[in-house]
Formats: sequence, C-alpha cells, structure tokens
Amino acid sequence: MNISMIRYILGKVALVIGVIMLIPCICAMCYQEKEGITYVIVASSLMLAGFLIALVKPANTTIYLKEGLVSTSMSWILMSICGALPMFLTGEIPGFIDALFESASGFTTTGASVVNNVEGLSHTTLMWRSTTHLIGGMGVLVFLLALLPTKGGSQVNLMKAESPGPVVGKLVPKLRQTAKILYFIYLGLTALEAIFLLLGGYSLFEAVNTAFATAGTGGFGIRNDSLASYSLYGKWVVAIFMILFGVNFNFYYFLIMRQFRKSFEMGEVRTYLLIILASTAVIAVNICHMYSSLGMTITDSFFQVASIITTTGFSTTNFDCWPTLSRLILLGLMFCGACAGSTGGGIKVSRLMIGSKTLGKQFSLLLHPKNIKKIQSDGKAIDHDTVRSVNTFFVAFMTVYILSVLAVAIEGRDIVTTISSVAATINNIGPGLSEVGPAFNFSGFTILSKLVFIFDMLAGRLELFPILILFHPMLYRNIAASAKTDYIDPIKSR
Amino acid sequence: MSKRGLRIIIVGAGKIARTIVSQLVDEGHDVTVVDINPVVIDEFTQSCDCMGVVGNGATYATLKEAGIATADMFIAVTQSDELNLLCCTIAKQFGDAATIARVRNPEYNREVGYLRDKLGLALIINPELEATKEIARILFLPTALEINSFAHGHAEMIKLKIPEGNLLDGKAIAYVGQKSEGVLICAVERNGQLVIPHGDFVLKSGDVISIAATRKNYLSFLKLIGFNTKGVRDTMIAGGGIASYYLADQLLKSGIAVKIIERDPVRCNELSDLLPKATIINGDAADKELLLEAGIHHAQSFVPLTGIDEENIVLTLFAKEVSSAKAVTKITKINFSEVINKLDLGSVIYPKLITAETILRYVRAKKATIGSNLETLYQIFDARAEALEFSVNKGSAIINIPLKDLKFKKDVLIGFINHKDTIIIPSGNDIIQEGDSVMVVTTHHGFTEIEDILL
Repeated sequence: MNISMIRYILGKVALVIGVIMLIPCICAMCYQEKEGITYVIVASSLMLAGFLIALVKPANTTIYLKEGLVSTSMSWILMSICGALPMFLTGEIPGFIDALFESASGFTTTGASVVNNVEGLSHTTLMWRSTTHLIGGMGVLVFLLALLPTKGGSQVNLMKAESPGPVVGKLVPKLRQTAKILYFIYLGLTALEAIFLLLGGYSLFEAVNTAFATAGTGGFGIRNDSLASYSLYGKWVVAIFMILFGVNFNFYYFLIMRQFRKSFEMGEVRTYLLIILASTAVIAVNICHMYSSLGMTITDSFFQVASIITTTGFSTTNFDCWPTLSRLILLGLMFCGACAGSTGGGIKVSRLMIGSKTLGKQFSLLLHPKNIKKIQSDGKAIDHDTVRSVNTFFVAFMTVYILSVLAVAIEGRDIVTTISSVAATINNIGPGLSEVGPAFNFSGFTILSKLVFIFDMLAGRLELFPILILFHPMLYRNIAASAKTDYIDPIKSR
Repeated sequence: MSKRGLRIIIVGAGKIARTIVSQLVDEGHDVTVVDINPVVIDEFTQSCDCMGVVGNGATYATLKEAGIATADMFIAVTQSDELNLLCCTIAKQFGDAATIARVRNPEYNREVGYLRDKLGLALIINPELEATKEIARILFLPTALEINSFAHGHAEMIKLKIPEGNLLDGKAIAYVGQKSEGVLICAVERNGQLVIPHGDFVLKSGDVISIAATRKNYLSFLKLIGFNTKGVRDTMIAGGGIASYYLADQLLKSGIAVKIIERDPVRCNELSDLLPKATIINGDAADKELLLEAGIHHAQSFVPLTGIDEENIVLTLFAKEVSSAKAVTKITKINFSEVINKLDLGSVIYPKLITAETILRYVRAKKATIGSNLETLYQIFDARAEALEFSVNKGSAIINIPLKDLKFKKDVLIGFINHKDTIIIPSGNDIIQEGDSVMVVTTHHGFTEIEDILL
C-alpha cells in the first residue's frame, strides 16, 4: 500500500478544493456578502493545508488498483467534509451533519437538499452548492490528472475508480490528454448552456448556477420551486442539456474527431435516447388529462423524464401528484440512470444492456445447453470479466440498497418515502416520491438516516466498490503493514 | 520537452514492447500497443501511460482503430517474422508511418537489404544478431565487460572493472589522461552509484569504468595498466538457437574454434549443415557431466545461449567455478538487475535493451531538427546513462566555438570528436566543426539533438 502517494493525492485534492472555493468568493465580492469572509478563510486554510500535506512528493508514485480505490474514496470523503465547512461556519446550515449532507449531495451531484428555504441562502452559498456539482460531475481526480504531470501509467487506476461505467478506457494514449479532452468537452458544454440561458433573459448568476447544476447532473436549484417558474424556453434548454450531459462523453469526442459514424453507432447512446422517447410518450399519455394544453403535457413529461434518467433531479412540476404508472416509470428511470462515461449516476444504460444480454444468453443456454455465445456490444465481444463485474455490480447494488432501506425504515415512515428516498440518493437523483418528493426535502430525517444517505450518495457516485473496499478488514491490515515500511524508510533516507 | 511527441503504434506486446513502451512514453510520445491477447493489453494499459487495442495487427480494422492514419511510426515486434513484415506492409498502405519490423530468421536476414527496400521499411531489427555482434566483440577482447562501437567502428567505448592492486587504484583521472594519449574515462560506477567524473576524481579498485578511445589507443592503454589484450581462441556455446548460429558464424569467420551443445538432434543436424567448421555436440547443456566431458574446464570462453535465463545464469556460475573461461551471459527476460549485478557474472548481454537502443535512436533522430542527427545510442550501466553520437550539420549552435566557452549541462561529458575519421579526445580549446560527429556521455535521458547538451 503506497500510503505516501495517498497522502500526496489527498493533499492535492484539498488544494484543488481550496482553489475552487474561490469561485463563490468572487460571487461574494460581487454581491458584497459577509459570508464571503468565511469562504475566503476556509479556502485559504484548505490551500495551505493541502500545500503542506503535498509538499513532499513521494519517491514511488506507482498506484495499484487498491491505492486507486482507496485514494478515490478518501478524496471524496475529504471533499464532502471540506465542502461542508463553509456552509456550517457561516451558520446558514446550522447542523454539521446537515451541512455534510448538503456538501456530499453537491459533490456526488445528487441535488438532495436539507434547506427548506433555498431563496434565503446567500448568493455565495448558492454558488458554492452549484460549483460542487460542477467539480463532482466529472470528478476531482480526473481534474487532477489533467493538471498534474504524471509519470508511468499507473494513474489510470485513479480514473478507473472515479469514472462511471463498466469499462473505462482512454480516448488518446496519454492519460493527461484524455483528462484534458474530457474537461474541455465538459466545460465547453457548460459554457454553451450558460450562454443559451443568458439569451433567454436569465441573470448571469442564475444562468451560471443552473448550467453548473445541469453539467454535473446535480440538481440544486436556486429557487424554492426548482425550475417550475422558468419560461418554456428555459425549461427546454435545461432539459436538452440534461440529456446531453447524460450521453457518454466518447460520443462527443468522436464527433470532434469527425468520426460521425462511430458516434452514431454507439448502441448505448441509441438505447438511452430510445428510453427517453418511450418514457416521455407513455407518461404524456398517462398525464394528459391533468393538463389543458398538449404543449405543457409534453414539456412537463419530457423535462421530468430527462431530469430523472440523467439523475439531475430538477423539477418543473410536482410529479408526486402524477398517476401511479407515471410515478413508477420515474422510479424505474432512477435506477436506470444515464450512459456510462457521462456525468450522470444510476446503474447506467450500458450495464442494463449487458445485463439483459446476459439474461438472453441464459435463455438460449436453456434451449441449447451446448451453445457458445459471446455477449456483444457495438460489434465487439465483451470479455467475461466485464460481464462478471456487471453482474457483481447488480448484486452489490441491490445489497447496499436493501440494507440502506432497512436502516432508513427504522424511522418508521411510509414505504414509498423510505424506498424512494434511498433510490434518490444512491442513484444521485435528488427528489424522490411522497415525503421526499419535489415539494419536500430531506431535512426531517434523523441523523442516522442522513448518515445512511450520505454513504449512499458517495457509494452511488463512485459506483460502490471504492467505498465498499473501505469496509474490508484486509485493507487495514495492509495499511498497517505498509505504514511500518513506508514511513520508516523515507525518514531514514533523508 | 516542449516538442510534441510522435504517434507510435507497436504491434506485439512482448518483452521488447515492454522495454520500449515505458521509455517512449517517458520521452513524451503517444504510444498505442496492439496485441491479439486482451490480457497482456490490459497489463500494458495498467502499467504504462499508453493506449491498448486488442486485435490482429495485420488487419486494416485493427490498425484503423489504433490510428494508423495519423501515426508517425509503426513498430512490429510480434513473435513471427512473417507477421511483422505483413503488418508493416499493410501499415504502409494506409498511412505514412515509418515502419520498423523485427526479423530474426537467418534466411531472411541474408536478404535484409532487399526486404527493407522492396517493402519500404525504415528499419529492420534483429535482436539476436545485434546481441551476438556484441558478444563477439567482447570475446575478441575478453578483459572488457562491454564494448560499444561508435563512428562506424573508428572509436569504441569499453567497460572494465579495476582489479585489486591495479596501477589505476588511487590515481586521479587527470593523471590517467597525462599518462596515456587519446584515452578518456567517461563514466565510473562505484558501489552502485554512477558518476560522470571530473579530472580530480580518484579511482579505486572495484570501480567499473567506461573508456572511450580508438582501438589502437585503448589497446596500448590496457597493456600499460597490465590487462591482457588477446582475444579468445575457442568458445563453447550452450544451446543451439538462432543466436547461437549467428554467434558461431561470426566467430568461425574470425578463426575462433566453436563448440555448440544442443539438446535437439534435429537442430544439431541443421547446425552442422549450416556451420560445417563448428563442433556440434548433441546433449543437454544443463548436464554437468556432459559439460565436463566437452571440456569446459579448459575452454577459454563460455557463452550460454539457452532460451532460459535462469539456466544461463547457473551455467555461467558453474563455468566460473570450474574454469577460468571468459563467460558472457545473455539475459532475455528476467528483470532483476539488482540481483544479477551482485552475482559477478562478468559480461551480461540484454538483447531487448540492444533492440530498444536501436528503436530509441531511430525515434529520437526522427524527432530532432536538421542541426544534428543522432547516429548511435547506447544505454550504459543498466540504462542509467546514455552514450550518444551526433553528427553535427550546418546551422548547429555549437559549431566553431571552443568547448571551454560552451555552457554544458551538469553530468554531460564529450567523449570524443570524430573529425574526418580522426578521433580527437577533446580539451577546452578544441572546436566542433560542421560534418564532425561528437560522442556524448550523460546521465540525462531523452537527448534528441546536440544542442540538448547545452544549458
């Protein structure tokens, strides 16, 4: 276990978070808010601490998979705690667990909130919440990889641990270049959305915040009614950009590289768009009796479908009032999630595709027991390890989900609330149904439930295993063993 | 390095690929590795910052995915000579990459020039042949641990270990320079530490030193310090593979008697057809009795070339035990240089490093500007230092300036200047002229042009 390297990465993460916390500080300057002082203090202490922690570069920078997983999950826990500090210290969110919930919800791009009156928060804090979405969407370690010169190839393990999807590949041979391309596409799309919103007459503050929250498929709104009071134009811009951010980023890379054929032949993207269209259609038919105009019906059903499948969690209406069929479709979409390699959460369309193909294979095996069949995706056979990892992911996901539901059930709320609140957090959506529906929030839960939700959000964002490995006793024996060797040597040599 | 790296595709994820990929990536190139086996591709992408493509490197679809259209260089190093040539031929059809193929079979090797021209290859590499050339050079001068040749053979760099009680023990390098003309000590390894020495560096017994000089000068220098300069008269080779054939062929041409021990009777017959002058013994080289019977205890030199590194090492240790034979050990695969260095094997040859040197030289030369051209590259002392030879062309920044006025980087030493085939061991007043070639020893890596030695 390369503990020095984990320390180094954590130090760099603290530094980056400190620097990014300057964005709300700028906002505080514009609006002359006193909260900015707290943010500046927290930001500078984070930068100082991060700088000191990462001052000594470890001699051995090799990261194996286990270090990649551990440093990723530790980074995200560290980020959540750092992000909670200013919100707690300004007193805008009085309880620390509440602040931690809000911060974790931001970084994991969940968008579930404990704040009853969002409009009562300072601009600085609103900006910070949206910024956590932006950095959490693509991932802070990918950001680090884009900035830091890396030697050797082992850093790919960091990206693997942080990026969603069953298979994480590089776009170009250089990891750093890949990370740069991903951030370039990501920030480019974000800027584009902000420009579209500005053209729609929204203030710069609102356009930037909404764009940040859409980019990470987060869902923190800056109005109490989320996006319900937006104009038709605003709703459609946000809806379309939500869908764009839910697409596998390889799609955009192929577009940029002018490999149009390759991008449009991506089976996952096609299925993803198909699911959106089908769900929208069914829901529109199901709810049309509640609306007077067809336009509004389609706008609302499309927006809600886009918001839930990309795991953003914006809402334009209280979909909890919709008929059971529509609500259940939305609940299903929560689990479905967006494409692999996007900023969205959930199980991911590609995993569902592999899963359903495995199921089909099982059926054909029942008919022809000696049949040999490889599961294919985009014209390529998927190797057995990937299929197995998808299957284990389902198992792990369901285990974590059920245990979390049981833990939250201690509170004794109704079944729909309990089930959907966990679904909304583990899939990084935000609003659920019933008592956690769009009209409500998570402030009423007990500390225990909130901790479970925080865990679920992190586990969901990092796709379970980086977080789950922290619970493996072997890991700590490993750390203890290498703490002896790692930490004695460098001191002696210096 | 500010310049953009080259886009390089490597087909065949084997030992050579492993050696060159990490070096090429460290030098800033974009490397894509192609292999049919997804498991090794996975290992590569885990351990190196490179891209992996699974597929047959001789098909257009795979090459397209690997980016053949924009590649600058294409290197085929699969197991099979024929596949390598086919890959390169196909790659040539779809892109404008310089192609390099590994071809080992002696039958193809005879037509290597023809193959290269007709197939439009930039380079054909033959690790076995190159390795045995190096082995042969050592056998001609068995007191040296390693011999590298520069300037088309006009100058050489030899590595040797200073024995107990030698003349050089306790002498400063400046003193050595006064005593013998035209000899320069370029690098010293002491207790595992590599030093590019200054004149006041004091040598000790047990140091391993590298000397640059012409053949004539270093031979008289070796005589002066009491080293034997005679070549061996006979050689025993364990194993009868391709490398053994190449080595035996070269040695026999120089009149050295060769004894080959080979396990497989069919191969023995082939060898006796190919090498009528050699003594071929059919038997297991790992059999102690057989080795003794074949006369290992009075052999002058012993070269184990079995395909198994561990066996080679044990055989060398055994030969050292029972005889005073000069042993040269070939190590193809294993990667524990720390341990191997402690074993006192004498000369050790790493074919994969020799191949890597050739490829790196080509890649760097391709990247360099027109001011100079990298002619030769050797990685010395376990690739901790490099010995490079540049030919200096018109327009280079270092022409016609006395060396004492040039600001060199730390740990850079000019070994010699080759001025119209005269080797000059430079002093501060010497100048480099257009058309000269310059040999540089440095612990820096990745020099592509002569100006890189300047601050």
